[in-house]
Amino acid sequence: MNSFLKKFFMLMVLFSLLFIVACSNTTQETQQETDNEPESSEDEDSQEPEEDTAEFENMELDVAAFEGGYGSAFWDALKSKFEEAYPGVTVNLESNPNIGDMIRPQIVGGNAPDVIYLNQTDQSGVTQGLIKDQALVDITDIFESESIDGDGLIKDKILPGALESIFMSPYGDGKVYLAPYNYTIMGLWYNNTLFEEEGIEAPTTWDEFYALQDKAEELDRSLFTYQGTNPGYLEEILIPAVYNLGGQEALDQMLIDYDPEFWNSETALEALGIFEKIANEGMLMDGTVALNHTQSQTEFMQGNSMFVPNGNWFEGEMAEAPREDGFIFGFAGVPTFDSSEDSMALASFEQVYIPKSSDNIELAKEFLKFMYTEEAVKLNGEHAEGVMAVQGAADLVQDHITESSYESFKAVEEGMYAVSGNFGPVPEGVNIEPRSILFDQVADVMNGDMSAEEWAAIMYDAYEEVQSKME
Amino acid sequence: MEKKQRSGFILFCIMPTLVIFSIFVVYPVSMVFYKSLFQSSGFGGNEIFVGFENFIYLFSDKTFLISLKNTGFLMLVVPVISLTLALIFASVLSFGQLREKAVYRTIFFFPSILSFVVIGILWSFIYHPNMGIVNDLLTFMGLEEFTMTWLGERSTVLWAIALVLVWQSTGYYMVMYLAGMDGVPKELYEAASIDGANSFVQFTKITIPMLWEIIRVTIIFSINGVLNISFVIVTVMTAGGPNNASEVALTYMYEQAFNNANFGYAMAIAVVVFSFSIILALISNRLTERDIQ
Repeated sequence: MNSFLKKFFMLMVLFSLLFIVACSNTTQETQQETDNEPESSEDEDSQEPEEDTAEFENMELDVAAFEGGYGSAFWDALKSKFEEAYPGVTVNLESNPNIGDMIRPQIVGGNAPDVIYLNQTDQSGVTQGLIKDQALVDITDIFESESIDGDGLIKDKILPGALESIFMSPYGDGKVYLAPYNYTIMGLWYNNTLFEEEGIEAPTTWDEFYALQDKAEELDRSLFTYQGTNPGYLEEILIPAVYNLGGQEALDQMLIDYDPEFWNSETALEALGIFEKIANEGMLMDGTVALNHTQSQTEFMQGNSMFVPNGNWFEGEMAEAPREDGFIFGFAGVPTFDSSEDSMALASFEQVYIPKSSDNIELAKEFLKFMYTEEAVKLNGEHAEGVMAVQGAADLVQDHITESSYESFKAVEEGMYAVSGNFGPVPEGVNIEPRSILFDQVADVMNGDMSAEEWAAIMYDAYEEVQSKME
Repeated sequence: MEKKQRSGFILFCIMPTLVIFSIFVVYPVSMVFYKSLFQSSGFGGNEIFVGFENFIYLFSDKTFLISLKNTGFLMLVVPVISLTLALIFASVLSFGQLREKAVYRTIFFFPSILSFVVIGILWSFIYHPNMGIVNDLLTFMGLEEFTMTWLGERSTVLWAIALVLVWQSTGYYMVMYLAGMDGVPKELYEAASIDGANSFVQFTKITIPMLWEIIRVTIIFSINGVLNISFVIVTVMTAGGPNNASEVALTYMYEQAFNNANFGYAMAIAVVVFSFSIILALISNRLTERDIQ
């Protein structure tokens, strides 16, 4: 009896071991399955070497695309056009609103997609993590090469300033690691109908902006509201303001170098002073601090506030939202401090990149080049209703984007200066996120519990901490 | 010999569960402890062993201390209020002569079957500064000077969130207490009323002692629930604002792990929160210990 039990016990141990092994095997298998969709692995089997163009060793390209406001139809269309143009190539496209979380385990497992497109504001932090780990492929050579359309170097087709911006060259070493896809324009918005009826001009300087407070009181509205619980939207005002006051140098000091002394500068105090003034002179809509982005934007559209910051996606985003009679979106850009200058705007770029662990870098680069053909730009307008960061793209896709969105792009093309700036990566081992600290304070400033000087002092300490970890 | 055979058989029976438990619970949890000793972005590359540095930094990190304080506040206030209310409601429904008993039971339990995200959205509109029912009611009653941006003020935001958590959980615990009260022998109450005990004395001397074991369990449940649910509610309603005044430990952990790509540090937060809630549970267990004889 006893020996029988013993044997049985041994058998059980064996079984459980087998179970563990089987488990680990299946996880690998399922991971591969999600990676290459079943149909494509069949293709791989049926594909004989004789029918490939032999240009690329590996004919299979894995593309992971974020499916958000722009949808995924563009990527589907681009996939089939690319496969048409490069016979024998198979593109495995995976698109999902949570693509960041989906590819995270693939990247960790060393089985990363070859091309990744993630939304600029993606919550998964995949892009940020890869930039931090220096795990992206240097793609400078793509932009130095002749475009597929044969009309010059690709870098000359891209919007000026885009490739040099922090979005594409995150390390500031002159090398491009991320390719620009759609770009967006951000600034202040107003109700065009109201402004025309009341004979108000959109302000181009901050003084003109503040002066509208009287008009706002007369109309029983507040002057300004913002996305209270998502105060990060205020960078659409702060970044252009810093650029306006201190130029690129000050902007780099704030965004890339994390130089604490920036917060002792006149530039910083004057830029932060915008928000202090809005708070102290009662220009802010009551309750703004507690509203999320949808709520505050709805308040704006219902006529409770004259201005709100947002991007060119505004009209599409709020398509279903209630609004006051006759409401029409008007784009004012961001006022400047100098009356001789036109108003400004903030531009940001969506990123497409190749992770270092990709097993098909050559074909991935070709795919990115293909993305900058005129055909692809048009496809993108048609399917994604987006404007690619390519010269003249707004006109190419005019039929497909909202009027207010076209107008904001056109304003930029016609001379409104679009600053591009984003907070650079902080060095490894820094446990704070300077950007969220910066905008978290806004609530206290708006509630009257903090002055611009105190705000700057908090930022000084935060930047000092970042600085201590920089080489 | 007998005993050995017996334990062999028991071992054999629990084997499958034990294996699964180790793979899906023990292994991940121990990885949390292990990873908290590293500085890493969570992507596998560049992991640097830093020992206890993450923990040392934690206790000088103002945002973390605020979030821990907020979590502690909610863990203290919410269980006390919601369990007291649940007990009162349960006894009223169980012993009171209400005709609409079933209706009330359903209404009180209703929040427990709503998704937390829905609750968060619902309450963010109830507290809405310009069109929310709270401010509208105050204005209607002529108390206009008391209207407030409930979720936008440092002084009110945590209480506002605590109220949501109480509203959400009271009905759930009430149903548990109701079930417990059904099991209390009626004779005890009869005997007590013959002895002249009024219903308040009956409640404190019979109901509560008889339910004591259930109450102990619900205290632990409630503390744990606050930890988890506050994450969703805070994320939906305030995103930790204004200026971290409503940040809780788990939202801060999430922010560090996924927005800041600072995985090792986030795991250190997880370890501290884990220890914190274990200690709280042990304390409450010890405090409520009683000999039942």
